[in-house]
Amino acid sequence: MSEPILRTEGLTKRFDGVVAANDVSISVPRGELRCIIGPNGAGKSTLFSLLCGIHRPDTGRVLLKGEDVTHLLAFQRVRRGIGLTFQTNRVFHRLSVRQNLSAVLQISRADRPDDADERYRFALGRFGLDPDSEMPAKELPHHRLQWLEIAMVLAAGPDIVLLDEPTAGMSTDETLQTGAVLKHLNSSGLTIVVVEHDVAFVRDVAQRITVVHQGRVFAEGTVDEITKHADVRRIYLGQA
Amino acid sequence: MDSFATIVSILYQFATNGAFLLLSALGLIVILGMMNIINLAHGELMMMGAYTASIAWHRGVPFWLCAILAFLVVGLFGALLEQTIVRRFYGRELGALVVTWGISLILSQGALMVFGPFLPAVPIPGGSVAVGQYSFSVYWLTIIALACLLIAGLWALYNYTTFGLQARAAMQNAAMARALGVDTGRIYMLTFSLGAGLAGFSGALFAPTVSIAPFMGQQFVAPAFITVVVGGATNVITGAVGSSLLLSLVKTPIGFVFGAFVGTVALLLAALVIIRLMPDGVSAVMQRWIDRRNRFA
Amino acid sequence: MPHLLSLLTGPEDIGRSRWFWAAFVAVCILLFVYPFWLSEFEATNNAYYLLNVPIALGLALLWGYCGILSFGQVAYFGVAGYVYGIVAGNMVGNAAGPILGSLCGLTVCALVAAVFGYFVFYGRVQNWIVPILTLVLSLLLETFLGQTAGYQWRVGTVQLGGYNGMTGIPAFQLGQYIVTGYSFYYYVLIAVVVIYLSLRLLVNSRHGKVMLAIREDAIRAELLGYDIRARRLVVFVLAATLAGISGLFYVQWGNYITPSQVGLLQASLPVIWVAVGGRESLLAVLLSTCALNWLNYTLSSEGYQYALIIIGALLVSVMVFFPDGIVVTLARELPKRGWRALVGSHEENAG
Repeated sequence: MSEPILRTEGLTKRFDGVVAANDVSISVPRGELRCIIGPNGAGKSTLFSLLCGIHRPDTGRVLLKGEDVTHLLAFQRVRRGIGLTFQTNRVFHRLSVRQNLSAVLQISRADRPDDADERYRFALGRFGLDPDSEMPAKELPHHRLQWLEIAMVLAAGPDIVLLDEPTAGMSTDETLQTGAVLKHLNSSGLTIVVVEHDVAFVRDVAQRITVVHQGRVFAEGTVDEITKHADVRRIYLGQA
Repeated sequence: MDSFATIVSILYQFATNGAFLLLSALGLIVILGMMNIINLAHGELMMMGAYTASIAWHRGVPFWLCAILAFLVVGLFGALLEQTIVRRFYGRELGALVVTWGISLILSQGALMVFGPFLPAVPIPGGSVAVGQYSFSVYWLTIIALACLLIAGLWALYNYTTFGLQARAAMQNAAMARALGVDTGRIYMLTFSLGAGLAGFSGALFAPTVSIAPFMGQQFVAPAFITVVVGGATNVITGAVGSSLLLSLVKTPIGFVFGAFVGTVALLLAALVIIRLMPDGVSAVMQRWIDRRNRFA
Repeated sequence: MPHLLSLLTGPEDIGRSRWFWAAFVAVCILLFVYPFWLSEFEATNNAYYLLNVPIALGLALLWGYCGILSFGQVAYFGVAGYVYGIVAGNMVGNAAGPILGSLCGLTVCALVAAVFGYFVFYGRVQNWIVPILTLVLSLLLETFLGQTAGYQWRVGTVQLGGYNGMTGIPAFQLGQYIVTGYSFYYYVLIAVVVIYLSLRLLVNSRHGKVMLAIREDAIRAELLGYDIRARRLVVFVLAATLAGISGLFYVQWGNYITPSQVGLLQASLPVIWVAVGGRESLLAVLLSTCALNWLNYTLSSEGYQYALIIIGALLVSVMVFFPDGIVVTLARELPKRGWRALVGSHEENAG
């Protein structure tokens, strides 16, 4: 129980000379709801892609539930309990809602958490998604698409999910509803790491915040600590 | 003296193989680099170029003019194809492949119907030059030189002209280029036309070396496609040159020992291995190298 | 059993209602019964229209359901045919020859596809590379076979035959019974029906759902935990085996095979059948394959060159005007708008 569910050691990644991740070491305890914030281009999405295996780091390690998964492919990591939603919504737009959801239910995992199904059904209910709907996904309004993607990731029964700007483009109400669902899921034991820009959302859901700037971990702390952090304000206003 | 001649002979083989691959693939690469589609009618466009050259030559047009004529005729035809059919398939790569295949069927069968099974041959211009015990065809030496000139010309086109600038912008980010006022529709048409014209030009150049028949394009298709696959779509010039050189390095020794067909098989096997190591092709690797140098310059 | 039935009637192909299945069964019965009114020659001709269905269905599976376009399915057609010819040809007089030959043909097919597919799918190459390389493989195979004219090009007692091809390939045999004429027709018909229904089961199964996901967004599918490389490889090998089955039927029907069967023109045909019918529906492809083969055969009697130009023009027109395929477009639009609406809208546009 003391081993963090997700941990990185000195992750570094260069893309053609641009250092997208610079010696990033973070540690997420099991059951936490962590928010990652930072100015645009800070490297937050890169970090996610390194965590779930879309890209390999140049140096450093990724440890999932204590196991070194740095050399595992993305699908192998997902099978070990990590899930990801993308910044640009990636459901199967041409397929129906039913097809989207049934595509996920084909995986069986030996160590699938017991309440995986419950979480999935809860999300479906609260997000108002009908798993038998033949409506093509692309006809859903934007916020429902985001919710559909979250539901799909939940259907795989992960122990930790990485959500990349899930409330981008949502109205205040929709953002609030998303936050409420995430908090409930988190209280049932799901570890959640969210990249977000919406300050109100972050204040509402975060238990801990990691600030990323120019590929580095700039600061880390509770909501109070970070909002009072002078340097954090400065980097957002571009003065660092 | 003998070993010198042998070295020259090996270099000659290497250069002719490389020039053959480069000229076969150049038109394809120009189109691929811009629109990310493979024109499966490429072989038939080369055939059109050879046909144009043959018909013109037998009417007394000097050969060098025939080649230029082939470039223009096939280039114009390419523009026509682009405007009527191909432009509907941008963004639909697989659909473009299939539709250009249909076009290639129509062209080759049409050529058979209209012109019959053979066209009169074009004799190879120029004689031969002897070094030691080997003799080299002046014509192939000219082709090698022309291939180099062509690459230089394309490089100048892409880097020193307005068209080239706009084309490179459109290749990197079409939406942004449009926002900056580039008429991407026109660029695409001109690019497809250029690619077709280059195919026609190459076809005319190769016409004296092969028999001129409706399905003659087929013998260039396999090597051209392999060259394009290994080259990749990231950068036209480096992809074409890098790929031809790399593949010629494979084909020359193997073809020398085992014959031309085994040489081509070796190309396919080499391509399979190369794409395993460099999935985006030689041009992507070269582009990363160039970018890295630029960043630290 | 009920599970199997629901898989069969699942939504991943056109035609689901009871009316459809009633019609399906009726047509099957008709196909079984009507040879009684045909001569043996006509029956074998009809078998010819059917024998290309497996290779087309394999391509539909690969392209329509999995998003992988292969231009070189005919390579496996040819490999199976030639291998069968070699094995069965060396075992003439031995009743096990054809069966062994068929098994060998399919095995070699699958192996070639597995090796080739490994390099392509585990290399995670871009989408457009697959059709190109599969086509190149087919062309190289044609060139290779074309230059096997000499006497030294033989395996055992069987000549490869160069551009003239391999002749005298034995028909299929079950025990001492030689499958030819009417029995050949039934042999192909039963196989085609079984293959179609099996594939229909497959695409509605869990594996089929995953294939669709991979087709739509491979990265998303991978991030849901699926090994997309392995799944693509499996479908590729399956499609190659189906192409091989068509190849077997072909040589068992005509008793010969030539290198042109794996050449550029022949390679285009499965793509045309699938594009015209509609790659996202197995049934549409089955119908279009039979129809186009019948068309090709009929036109060829007139003049071979014209047949191919028409087919090329058909391909271009379909890609431009019916990108989802003619049969699939009809199946989707007719129930919505009805015949009258379709006809009426033409009149409105004309007026």
